[in-house]
Amino acid sequence: MQKIEDRSETKYYLITLKVNGDSYTRAVKANTLLVNFLREELDLTGTKKGCELGDCGSCTVLLDGKPVNSCLVLALEAEGHEITTIEGLSQNDKLDKLQEAFVENAAIQCGYCTPGMIMSAKALLTRNPHPTEGEVREAIAGNLCRCTGYVNIVKAIMSAAEEQQ
Amino acid sequence: MTDYNFIGKRIPRVDGLAKATGKATYTVDVKLPGMLYGKILRSPYPHARLLKIDTTAAQQLPGVRAVITGEDVRQVRYAFVDTPRYPADEQPLAVDKVRYIGDEVAAVAAESEAIAEKALSLIKVEYEILPPVFHPEEAMQEGAPVIHDEQFEGTSFWEEWGVTEQKKAVKQNSAVNNLSGHTLISFGDIEQAFRESDYCREDRFELKATAHCQMEPHAAVASYDPLAGKLHVWLSTMGIFLKRYFLSRALNMPASKIRVHHTFVGGAFGGKIDLFPYEFCAAYLSMKTGRPVKIELDREEVFMTTRQRHPIIVKIKTGVKKDGTILAQDIKVIADNGGYRGSGPVVIFLCHGFSFPVYNVPNYRYEGFSIYTNNGIRGPQRGHGAPQIRFAIDSQLDLIARDLGLDLLEIMRKNVRKKGDVLPNGDQLNSCGLTECLLGAAEAINWQKKRKQFRTMENAGRYRRGVGISLCSMFSGAMYYPFASAAVVKLHDDGSATLFTGAQDIGQGSYTTLSQILAEELGIGIEDVHVVAGDTELCPIDLGSFLSCTALVTGNAVKKAAADAKRQLLESAAELLGVEDLTRLKAQQKTIFLEDNPEKTLSFSQAIQASVLKRNGNPIIGHGSYKGYPRAERYPSLAKGKGLFTGAYGFAAQAAEVEVDTFTGKVKLLKVVTFHDCGYPLNKTIVEGQIHGCTSMGAGQALSEEVYLEKGQLFNPSFLSYRLPISLDTPESIEGIVATIEPSGPFGAKEVGEGCVAGILGAIANAVHDAVGVRIYSLPITPEKVLRALGRI
Repeated sequence: MQKIEDRSETKYYLITLKVNGDSYTRAVKANTLLVNFLREELDLTGTKKGCELGDCGSCTVLLDGKPVNSCLVLALEAEGHEITTIEGLSQNDKLDKLQEAFVENAAIQCGYCTPGMIMSAKALLTRNPHPTEGEVREAIAGNLCRCTGYVNIVKAIMSAAEEQQ
Repeated sequence: MTDYNFIGKRIPRVDGLAKATGKATYTVDVKLPGMLYGKILRSPYPHARLLKIDTTAAQQLPGVRAVITGEDVRQVRYAFVDTPRYPADEQPLAVDKVRYIGDEVAAVAAESEAIAEKALSLIKVEYEILPPVFHPEEAMQEGAPVIHDEQFEGTSFWEEWGVTEQKKAVKQNSAVNNLSGHTLISFGDIEQAFRESDYCREDRFELKATAHCQMEPHAAVASYDPLAGKLHVWLSTMGIFLKRYFLSRALNMPASKIRVHHTFVGGAFGGKIDLFPYEFCAAYLSMKTGRPVKIELDREEVFMTTRQRHPIIVKIKTGVKKDGTILAQDIKVIADNGGYRGSGPVVIFLCHGFSFPVYNVPNYRYEGFSIYTNNGIRGPQRGHGAPQIRFAIDSQLDLIARDLGLDLLEIMRKNVRKKGDVLPNGDQLNSCGLTECLLGAAEAINWQKKRKQFRTMENAGRYRRGVGISLCSMFSGAMYYPFASAAVVKLHDDGSATLFTGAQDIGQGSYTTLSQILAEELGIGIEDVHVVAGDTELCPIDLGSFLSCTALVTGNAVKKAAADAKRQLLESAAELLGVEDLTRLKAQQKTIFLEDNPEKTLSFSQAIQASVLKRNGNPIIGHGSYKGYPRAERYPSLAKGKGLFTGAYGFAAQAAEVEVDTFTGKVKLLKVVTFHDCGYPLNKTIVEGQIHGCTSMGAGQALSEEVYLEKGQLFNPSFLSYRLPISLDTPESIEGIVATIEPSGPFGAKEVGEGCVAGILGAIANAVHDAVGVRIYSLPITPEKVLRALGRI
């Protein structure tokens, strides 16, 4: 990967990331986090930052279909992988089943954990279309929510899974 | 009474789609052209004198645009509490001393966060370390280090609002060291009543500091326009008008020169109402540099330097008759408010205010102290005093029931207040479903069958189960700046309407419930309501989303505004239809019709056009407003508890079933039940959602959550180590809605979603006692405490 230095000898790397099907080329520092790349460079602010420590899951995105905390992934590491964010889940007014289920089942209150929660759920339903309640709880155990007590979130994911059948 | 189109219905959130697609903009998402990034240098010491700050090297770092210290803002004082008795004690940056680890010392604005961070490391600060004090009971002693020795007078926020009658208020009771607030309330004759009691009991309970854990970290963006002299701010907040007021006082700017813009709020729970130094600094740095400035706190800063729930010590003596009737109660509360006053004097008042509506205690004495220590600052948190005091009172009542061999349920039933009761301060309970809540919750938890107390069987197994119950109450708004909420309803050509409200949806669903009120009152669909909210420039005043005032106070304002618009619409329609008596007209689905001749109709569009063209050009704009508490003239006295508090109290009974592992001491919460009297539920789904959030937070506070401090240093400033409930911790949850009708509420509604965090704590503590026969007097109920109580360690 191409390396560039500015006048103060700070090194930048030219990377191309594939996000929601589109390719973006940017020069980033070695320590640029994927979450900051998405939010600051691409203005994809649907991915939220809650802690930058990998504890809260608000920044969950899909890396080749697997859920990752984008605050624990360097932008450099993401090159060559397919990244999906909440913005890539819906097209205009065509929503993903999970998004619809979250609205219909009142799984959203303040909404800050919602994008990350939906991405974790998306990864679950892709690898396991018919999860048990326990599997749903396990899949979102890394996504914190302070508003809902998780009751309606679990309900929403279960109902989206049922609808898939 | 329930023949509504929208009220009481399970209408999905109006902001659901924006949030589900990631399109909702929060303060952390705001990015402006030319924006600088701010960072704050904080004290590493709990108590120290500032000797010297050298910012030269930081100023010279390329990319740094401004560095400020206490010297720049010496005169600035503000605080959540700013009354003649308790003048503001906070400064945006430390001037003479630092008073807790994390206290703000300097702020930097730079071209990037990395540069700002680097600049902080170049600031040299010399401190003289002073002896600290961390425990409130030690801080109260004579000879303890004095944390606030500065003398300051000055006008208080309230004086310009004509609420200065108590100006002569004596400042502080100096007999107690480090006192930041004192409340003393009494009625009846407790000494006499204790003598007449068949049984008395004294206990001491303790609760630790807890964190709000809003998922969105605290952040502010400020952009000053020097040509217009106008400051634009984006804040993650619960009350835009109160924040604007604080800011205008702190920056010495007219309120109208500050505009708070709308953003979605990623959780608040009480922790986003104070004015914070980072907000002031963002504004000040923007004014200094002429560029927009963003300051976003990291998670550790949120834990350490925003607000925590007050750790509280409660001592209670209660006297009862043989049958459990409470005759007297003597309560002493000590709240540790940390290095600054925060909401100290408020929480010690509210420990009384949020609890005394529950039981009828004829002889009562309540004394509260809020105390300065060198810990982090404490502020409002969901329930604001209610979780602490309700845990203590109902834990003790459970002990009394056991001592007397009575059923706690019966004791509660005997003592709870009822509809029609007038509280000692004059507040009226015009709706009160406490008894129904109590019975509902007891039945849902299967009280008679599961209460181990009633069984003689000695369970020798490792896992033991028990059930407990507790009650709680909460205000529905109060007299606090700006003392009222107003609303504007603007009709459009197509008959739809835009609601302008200063209320902020912090996740509780207010945009949805307010839309329902508007749609119901005006006769349009939910999809016909557009909400413009949370903007001080566009929207009329609002109390804000705290003290649980939105449903009742803002709700009434919206209802009145909609009714005003409707009246104008019907007047216009009456002319066209040739009707003189407006009461003959009905409005539904954007159509006006004659009740006695439904064939004769007119669309809202036609009526609006007629109003513009044939009447007075009025496109129809409805106004409405409602006072924080119409019967009250001013805010109540925090020190004496005098004056009216709130127009309506919400109530709840909460029950829990637990399983205790007697080998490990771990308590597993199996089931929680909440029966909530929220007046008439505007939206059952939203009410249930609020209950879920409350019970989850309450369960966390009962079993695991504690901001762990040692010598003022926070040991667990991350979600991982703080241990709030995760998806695997959710117990079975049952929610019952006891629909009373609050006469002063819009469609009978009152408080929901705040009070019922409070009953869970006592319910769980009582359930643990029921399961294993030992009392845990301090929260959280950790495995270690259980094993100690069981004598296993």
